[in-house]
Amino acid sequence: MKFGKRLKQQIEQSLPGWRDYFLSYKDLKKLVRLISSASPPLECGKAEAEFVCLLNDEIDKFNSFFMEQEEDFIIHHKELQQRIEKVMENGNEKDYKEELAKIRKDIVNFHGEMVLLMNYSNINYTGLAKILKKYDKRTGGVLRLPFIQKVLEQPFFTTDLISKLIKECENTLDSVFPPSVSDAGTLRGEKEALALAGEGIFQNTVAALLTMQEMRRGSSTHSHFSLPPLKFPDSDILHTLQILPPIQIP
Amino acid sequence: MSTSFGVLSSPFEEKFPKLPDSPQVTLGRELTTNLTSLSPMTPSCSDKTVYSPNSCQLAKSSMISESLKDGDSFVSYQHSFLQASESSGYSMDTEEVSWDNDATQNFLDIPLNIHVQDELVECRGVLASDGHGRNTDWHEWADQLIKVDDTLDTNWSDLLVDVNVPDLNAELLELPPDVCHRQIHQHQNSPTSGGQCCSVLSSPRAAPLTKARMRWTPELHEVFVDAVSKLGGNERATPKAVLKLMNVEGLTIYHVKSHLQKYRTARYKPESSEGASEKKSKNVAEMMSLDLKTTMGITEALRLQMEVQKQLHEQLEIQRNLQLRIEEQGKHLQKIFEQQRKMEENKSKASLQNSNELSQCQMVENPPSSGNDKPGPSINDRSNIKEVTSDPCLPTDQEYSCKNSLSPKRESFEDHELDSSGFDRPLIKQRAKFNGKEPVE
Repeated sequence: MKFGKRLKQQIEQSLPGWRDYFLSYKDLKKLVRLISSASPPLECGKAEAEFVCLLNDEIDKFNSFFMEQEEDFIIHHKELQQRIEKVMENGNEKDYKEELAKIRKDIVNFHGEMVLLMNYSNINYTGLAKILKKYDKRTGGVLRLPFIQKVLEQPFFTTDLISKLIKECENTLDSVFPPSVSDAGTLRGEKEALALAGEGIFQNTVAALLTMQEMRRGSSTHSHFSLPPLKFPDSDILHTLQILPPIQIP
Repeated sequence: MSTSFGVLSSPFEEKFPKLPDSPQVTLGRELTTNLTSLSPMTPSCSDKTVYSPNSCQLAKSSMISESLKDGDSFVSYQHSFLQASESSGYSMDTEEVSWDNDATQNFLDIPLNIHVQDELVECRGVLASDGHGRNTDWHEWADQLIKVDDTLDTNWSDLLVDVNVPDLNAELLELPPDVCHRQIHQHQNSPTSGGQCCSVLSSPRAAPLTKARMRWTPELHEVFVDAVSKLGGNERATPKAVLKLMNVEGLTIYHVKSHLQKYRTARYKPESSEGASEKKSKNVAEMMSLDLKTTMGITEALRLQMEVQKQLHEQLEIQRNLQLRIEEQGKHLQKIFEQQRKMEENKSKASLQNSNELSQCQMVENPPSSGNDKPGPSINDRSNIKEVTSDPCLPTDQEYSCKNSLSPKRESFEDHELDSSGFDRPLIKQRAKFNGKEPVE
């Protein structure tokens, strides 16, 4: 139930428009339990077919959502580039400064949203892997390995393009931001950081990071298929960033 | 004719998670007999599982699933379909659906619109994944039956867009002429189907065209932007014109339409284009952070945010690579194990002594239980394999702990089970042999 809880947390802390598109982990777990306990051997094949059907449903959901977002990001990315070009040409007018500030904010938020999409992809993949593992364990099936091979090829998991866009974003930052005076490499200033954590995307990012760390804490069913534990250098600061509760949308 | 669906199943399995073979066989047979005993888990899925297993896979194609969802007719279809199959002794095998004449006649008695829709669905499934066939037949048929505007005629390739192909310029997937064309022709020729095809097909046909998902890339978007600017900007450019100008194979007007819509939104609301959804969540937080931002400096605040995001990104990349590597290893180990298993099989066939050793190994590791008393099950039957696996004689742990002597890796067990194409587990078969149980063939 640990993953299930973490996933639920993550969903609650994610962007409102995204919450419906995560893995229905709990339901799938219930199904696995149902299949393993209730079905006599004769119905095994049918039960498995249903299970696979549901999984495919989920994968379709991920794929549609992911590609939709990806398309938006591609458009937005191009837009930002055009805006930056325009601003660079404008010289030192007053509007330019205002526009530049807007662009900076936009880039950072855009970057954040893309990273959150990658997180979305990853957490759903992790959930799928876990549910398949449970299925095999409970029913003695051999579904996991071949199925996960297919999942690896799905659009929602092939995040290379998003990663590339993210890197490009980071590169554009230098041209838009003034050269950093202080060491911005570490999270400094707890107080300031605390306040900032209230912002939508930033808050979600912090939440995502911490959730990831939690999930990677040594599990009871550690095997060759498990990921090693995770430790961030600034994780204690990250924890303080989380003091503010997630913003509830009425 | 009965071989035609053989073409259907195999290419499809390449693209979509496939169901293991032998359960499909039993599943198919059971479906014709166990109609009433179905206990659907969710509405959407249960409808599809009543299909033959192939159809379940077909239904999962993202192009098809949406169109399937909007059909109450769909539900009624499956009942009548199965009734027909029962009455005509029609058997649903996984590899072949025998479209003998009797069965076809029965189909025609069923409310035809649904049946044809299903045909189309299955054909679309083939279109999605198969790489053979001629495109021209499809066009002819389309022209005959359906009166649509020009864009649809030229865009039959829409149906063939494989959503899993990230590169837009994927090859144009073509119809296998045997499969779909023949079946469609059947319905064309029969009197009842002719007229109805027209009206019916327009709706399910429209559905996949709109729902077929395109995976956009920056390069494709560049082409789009170029086309739009050439046509006078996003206000003046029309989807049809853009489509023609872009001249990209596989792109449909629906893709262009939706993309243009997104594009327009992005241009005129640059601030909120990053996600109108999160705007609400921002309001309260923004007020709180506004003061501190001015003291800390907005730039610094943004840098901080950026750092956290970068960290998350980095960790996600690492995690993803780890996951990929883990599965790679798993696959690799499976192969190794498969080889070992084959070697072992050969060895055991050669000499009895080997079998004695191994069975001893097993007995030693058996917990004291009554497991050995169970009669040798029929190994080839999936249902009995389930018993065998739960049989304490051959529990999963035992199997692999014995196996461990041959191969030290822990996950070899899991991989080992995968060496067969389905639930047919030669290992268990072997074990049963070694234990002195009668190998049931």
